[in-house]
Amino acid sequence: MSTEPNAAVADAPQTATPDSADASSSVVIETRNLSKIYRDFWGRKKVHALKSLDIEVRPGEIFGLLGPNGSGKSTTIKLILGLLFPTSGRVLVFDQDASETRKNERIGYLPEESYLYKFLTADETLDFYGRLFDLSASERRDRVSQLIEMVGLQGAKHRQLKEYSKGMTRRVGLAQALINDPDLILLDEPTTGLDPIGTREMKDLILGLRDQGKTVLLCSHQLADVQDVCDRVAILHQGELKELGRVSDLLKVQDVTEVHATGLSDAAKTEIADVIARHGGTVQSIDNPTATMEDLFLNIVRESEARPGARRVSQGSDAASANDGSSDSDGGQA
Amino acid sequence: MNLQPEDFWSYSEWFFRDGAFLESAALKGIVLLVLAIVLGLIAGYVISSSRYGSGEGFFAVARAVRDFFRFDLPGTSLRRIFALARLSFKEALRRKVLYIVGLFVVLLLLAGWYLNPQSDDPARLYVSFVLTMTNYLVLALALFISAFSLPEDIKNKTIYTIVTKPVRATEIIAGRMLGFVGVGTMILVPMGLLSWLFVVRGLDHTHQEVVEVRELPGGGYEGETDYVQFHSHTFKLDETGEGLTNIVRGHRHVVRRSEDGTFQIGPPQGALRARIPSYGSIRFRDRSGNLQEEGIDVGNERLAGGYSSTGIARLIGVAKGNRKIEHGYVEGGSLGTAEFTFDNVTQERYPDGIPVDLSLRAYRSYKGDIETGIRGSVTMKHPDKAIESNPVAFIVDEYEVDEKILPLEIEGTDGSETRMLNVFEDLVNEKGQIMIIVRCLDRAQYLGVTKSGVYLHPADNSFGWNLTKAYGSIWLQMTMVIAFGVMFSTFLTGPVAMISTFVCVLLGFSAEQVFDTRHYIDSGIERGGGPIESMVRLLRQDAMTTQLDVDTVAAKVIKTVDAAIVYGLDAIATALPNLPKMVETAEYAASGFDIFGALLARHATATFGYVLLAFIVSYFILKSREIAA
Repeated sequence: MSTEPNAAVADAPQTATPDSADASSSVVIETRNLSKIYRDFWGRKKVHALKSLDIEVRPGEIFGLLGPNGSGKSTTIKLILGLLFPTSGRVLVFDQDASETRKNERIGYLPEESYLYKFLTADETLDFYGRLFDLSASERRDRVSQLIEMVGLQGAKHRQLKEYSKGMTRRVGLAQALINDPDLILLDEPTTGLDPIGTREMKDLILGLRDQGKTVLLCSHQLADVQDVCDRVAILHQGELKELGRVSDLLKVQDVTEVHATGLSDAAKTEIADVIARHGGTVQSIDNPTATMEDLFLNIVRESEARPGARRVSQGSDAASANDGSSDSDGGQA
Repeated sequence: MNLQPEDFWSYSEWFFRDGAFLESAALKGIVLLVLAIVLGLIAGYVISSSRYGSGEGFFAVARAVRDFFRFDLPGTSLRRIFALARLSFKEALRRKVLYIVGLFVVLLLLAGWYLNPQSDDPARLYVSFVLTMTNYLVLALALFISAFSLPEDIKNKTIYTIVTKPVRATEIIAGRMLGFVGVGTMILVPMGLLSWLFVVRGLDHTHQEVVEVRELPGGGYEGETDYVQFHSHTFKLDETGEGLTNIVRGHRHVVRRSEDGTFQIGPPQGALRARIPSYGSIRFRDRSGNLQEEGIDVGNERLAGGYSSTGIARLIGVAKGNRKIEHGYVEGGSLGTAEFTFDNVTQERYPDGIPVDLSLRAYRSYKGDIETGIRGSVTMKHPDKAIESNPVAFIVDEYEVDEKILPLEIEGTDGSETRMLNVFEDLVNEKGQIMIIVRCLDRAQYLGVTKSGVYLHPADNSFGWNLTKAYGSIWLQMTMVIAFGVMFSTFLTGPVAMISTFVCVLLGFSAEQVFDTRHYIDSGIERGGGPIESMVRLLRQDAMTTQLDVDTVAAKVIKTVDAAIVYGLDAIATALPNLPKMVETAEYAASGFDIFGALLARHATATFGYVLLAFIVSYFILKSREIAA
């Protein structure tokens, strides 16, 4: 069922997208002047959750919706899915109205928390969702086992979801979103509740989906994750679009230059500082870079998987750990 | 069991009511559908115009209607319905609803404490016990599983993962209804089997020995069985050593004397049966022999009631008056008679005699001989000519069905001479009709009959099949409750949806009382009035048949408001399914009558109609609803 997204939306209106990685000429999601006002039972206005949002998501890109809690990210996703009706404006998904059921054939959705049936096993869950699509029985079975393997739940597929940990439920949630091999995947807070390994795997997976030519829309407030995977982001605050653009462009600090080098002595560093001063620049800092906590953690876990057993933590060797998380010299007790 | 006029209707009579279309089920269905459409459009327009403004609101409603016919109805896939039904089914099973079968078993085990073992009619007791028990358990279960599931799904947001798949609202509704009906069926089937076992085993017993056997002078024997389960039988055997016991507690045994002089007593027979009656038409003659439509009213027989058969006609005030059939009485020792004319009397149907079943009532104007009871007679008569058999006398056995077989060769008179008459040659006319005349023999005593009290009894159906039909009726009620529960759960929270469904069921059950109250208000009969008047009377401690003792203006206000309330309730009760009628089918099985196929077909049609209505209403509600709001 893996149709090229371009082929399927070939008749879409032409829109110029010069910087899209896929260089396609169509739009997957388009919101036009989209607004949403939540009202109470009597029709009184409670919250103006979204104000005149105009965004376009293009084929093959990873689009991030960013913003603090209550900024309208989830509302936008629900409007796109037709779970909410817009107060004014329109949402078009694959050039169809959001309330159209047929668009769902090509959509995968991972909700904020995995809202799944707790009384089903992982196997049954995926089988059930598979039955909602036009898949033949054998195709469905293949797809289910393939997805279970992909999210790493082979050992637990016959257990009811109520026994699952949060991370495991999340994986099942992701698997059900991919059951129909969708062209567009909407991920609502994909990394919440996942441990660092899970987060990394999720991020790799999202990037993998893009490599398969799929379009991903995700919303998150885990800024680091967004930075790692998204091609373009929209930043929302109090229902209004504050910023929209390529991540690389938005984050580029124009008047700062970064140089990475190895094997420099302290004298060389001083000399470089002098050179910079001579050219009229200002040295803000010359430092050893720190690895991210994520890198450290992942290194430790990989090491532990390679050589199981308790690990002797060396006292007072902070610098060593920071530089090289694996600390090979400590060894294991295998 | 006293049948009302609508019970005799055939399926088409019920559906079309020739000559009285206003009373027909078809009209009621059409009106409900039209009403649902009109109210739905108005409500839809009000909601969407408040959402989008008046002009855009109109288009939104039009689009919703178009989508239903253009996309959602043709796009509905059986595969997805079954997937969703399976889910609902699994959900119910994993929530351990099958425990209810366990509960049923416990109730059956405890039943012995409550069922009177010395009852005169144990079969009736047992059958009505199991059917009532099943009925209430299953309806309660249907109420719970159907009302809570969808709101629970919306609350837990599990519905998000469903509606973001290519699933249509039609499929969500149909899948859910189907799943719950599946669960209900899954529970009904073992309950039915257990019930059958319980009834059959519970009524089974053996008499081991015989006592006081005497050889009769002309050959044969007579004697008595031993005392088992609070009863014994007397029996009489012919020369060959075979015979029957008398009927006690609704059953009898075959008794056989073997070569070595011992007696074998067979298993009980006739306790569980399903008589297929062939009803006739009835007319009366008063004491002077004049034809009358109705019999004598010996008391307050003609109360309000029986309106449920009149449908829309009653609601708009076209059909009025009492509809209930009660007993009409025949005066004894006079020319008063009750005459039944039966159709389709042929040699093939009645090869061994004319089987007539009588369930009569007696009314005594003086004590008389209290030991023997009142005497009556049945006579067979040619419907058109003055050919008549001699009367066959009997003693009225109230509260039981008295089964007689009238012989095919019987002495009688053809107007000029007394001779042996052949039933089919002399008493049945060319249309295949015969008349049976019931008289009361005791002077100034009365016999009460109804149309359903005297019938020919050509055959019996099997009890097992009849019980299955009774369970079929319970299944239909369950389906109806599930449809209503699902409908309410599309826009109400679980508990509220359950209560709403329950109120509908309750109002369906008290429809007759609402109709009666309306009748009293319409005809100006003081019967306590509507709810407010009743409350006033209650507080003032006034009797309900007196004039309302408040000042004129207040009385006017109270009566007007009451009338509005009662008329409103009346309209709602008319719109609701006639559940008590469906519950009544249990009474047929318990009294040992075959449940008419037409009756079951009527219930099935009504159920299908209401399910369809609930389905359409649910669809539009779910479609117009913001799932994530």
